Amino acid sequence: MKEQKKKKALSRSAGEQNERLKGYILAAPAVILLTVFTVYPLGYLIYRSLYGGNLITKDPKFVGFDNYLNLLESKDFHQVFGNTVVYTLITVVFTMVLAVVIAAWLNSKKNRRLNEIVQTCIFTPHIISMVSVSTLFLWLMDSKYGLLNVVLNALGFESFPFLSSPATALFSVAMVSVWKGLGYYVLLIMAALQNIPTSVYEAAEMDDTPSLKVFFKITLPMISPTILFTSVVATIASFKVFDSVSVMTGGGPLNSTNTLVYYIYEYAFRYGKPGQACAAGVILLILVCIITFIQFRVSKKRVHYQ
Amino acid sequence: MSSISLKNVKKAYGNDVVIENLNLDIRDGSFTVLVGPSGCGKSTTLRMITGLETVTEGDIFIDDIRVNNVAPGKRDISMVFQNYALYPTMTVEENIEFGLANKKIPKEERKRRIGEVCEIVGLTEYLGRKPANLSGGQRQRVALARAMVKQPKVFMMDEPLSNLDAKLRAQMRVELINMHKRMGTTFVYVTHDQVEAMSMADDIVLMDRGKIIQQSGPKELYHNPNCIYTAQFVGSPQTNILDGQLADGRKLGFRPEKVQLCAVKPESGINIPATVQTKELLGSEIIYSLATPYGVIMCKSGEDVADNAKVTASVDFEQMYLFDSDTKRLPFDAAAKKAVSEIFGGGSL
Repeated sequence: MKEQKKKKALSRSAGEQNERLKGYILAAPAVILLTVFTVYPLGYLIYRSLYGGNLITKDPKFVGFDNYLNLLESKDFHQVFGNTVVYTLITVVFTMVLAVVIAAWLNSKKNRRLNEIVQTCIFTPHIISMVSVSTLFLWLMDSKYGLLNVVLNALGFESFPFLSSPATALFSVAMVSVWKGLGYYVLLIMAALQNIPTSVYEAAEMDDTPSLKVFFKITLPMISPTILFTSVVATIASFKVFDSVSVMTGGGPLNSTNTLVYYIYEYAFRYGKPGQACAAGVILLILVCIITFIQFRVSKKRVHYQ
Repeated sequence: MSSISLKNVKKAYGNDVVIENLNLDIRDGSFTVLVGPSGCGKSTTLRMITGLETVTEGDIFIDDIRVNNVAPGKRDISMVFQNYALYPTMTVEENIEFGLANKKIPKEERKRRIGEVCEIVGLTEYLGRKPANLSGGQRQRVALARAMVKQPKVFMMDEPLSNLDAKLRAQMRVELINMHKRMGTTFVYVTHDQVEAMSMADDIVLMDRGKIIQQSGPKELYHNPNCIYTAQFVGSPQTNILDGQLADGRKLGFRPEKVQLCAVKPESGINIPATVQTKELLGSEIIYSLATPYGVIMCKSGEDVADNAKVTASVDFEQMYLFDSDTKRLPFDAAAKKAVSEIFGGGSL
């Protein structure tokens, strides 16, 4: 009897162990991939930011926080930092406002055919690679021969220095990414709009609500979770801008469109200072974390989860 | 308080005509229930009165004023939706206040009215909550409060109780009757549930396929149906129809609750030999299905009879309805009584 019980207990614990093993095996692919491609690089980024040397130095020297101090003292880095913040502000604000307005407009349209055409037109840029889009706009925005200026001249306006003036280049680059990203955000916001039950709008109609009030008091609060999500995604994406800067301006003119990721790239692979590049990478990481945190914090009061 | 009247109203979606030539008068201060199966046009009718649906042809009058082109918010109507349609991002108080604020009613007046209404529907302690944190019954109350607080001329309800459980539904029926008595406003109520219609209405409008079949008080509707459709719609189980025995395609109808399991005198009714097929115990009553030579008939009775027992199903002439081949009601005169008792063995006492 006793032996039988023991055997039972043994087999049960074996079953439990099996069950546990299964859990580990199922989680393993994700954990391994995350470790190799996210955790390890992140750790290495922080580790390397504390060392000096260049790309071919065999044993880089430990320099502590020197790389960080260099960055914080560098005027170039200050400008790059400022550029990134301004670029992000322009991109996110324009994208979100336009996306909400266009989505609301599309959603209110009864004409299905027109709706589909407009949606397709707006969404198409999203599936084109950023490098192609940037090249295209590099031509369009050319100060002498670009189509945009040809049109402006034909309409009797002076040429606009889209990418050739430090005052306007950053804005121009930002507009390109607004143009490219808009369709995606319109799509997400439209999905949220379509989730609002029509009866809520009918109730508002019975309550004799003016249409602007309907938009601000009913529509916007009801899509606020989506707006929060899209603005966080858009913010993070803007902080990581690289392709358009690299293709269109190379950070110029006069460092006016240089952004954090492009700066990191230049320091790592052009100037051969991986330590400083890694330090800038860590700063970018911290910045994105802080901003996301703030966004969630601020919106806690304003976002209405149902 | 207001009367409503629909004149030759037609509603079509493209080529699909949902309602054709509807004429309806709703009395001032009445509790009128539009009832009928799904797709009969009752909700569409209600929505045309509110203005949420346009009228294809014809006119709608509220207090003798044509309102076809008046916006829903300007018709002085409140509506309770089937799924309540509360504003999910607003608190209970904001939900109730929203319509008043749009009407530019001063703050103190708003607060006073909200306090009053919430006292009536028992929401006072939930004013700060969001609809998501309320139970179905409480949401229902918010919807009612939101409608009441505007003190409208007409109160519209589109299946407001269908999302509640049976017990709460019975309780809300009583509360709605009380509410109507207290407010004295015209109520227009849409439901597919004949029990709701019968229990609350002063006036029932029975609809089918976009047409009004019968409009009358609940008593009249029950005791005096004008066709087979009405006779079978009201009451449960539905009215028995004996078809195929009478000349000229005429049909005989009687309610299950009027079938007696003891024989009556031949000159006052009919006696049909029957066998008990099934038995459903409801507590106070039992529903039998009885096999007879003329088909299966239902019977609702207080008497307890064993399964498979042979019984006599008897119906008094006074409790019978005669219908023509077109399912319209016919007068049940002496000649008809004679014909019926000859065919259905009234003499087997």
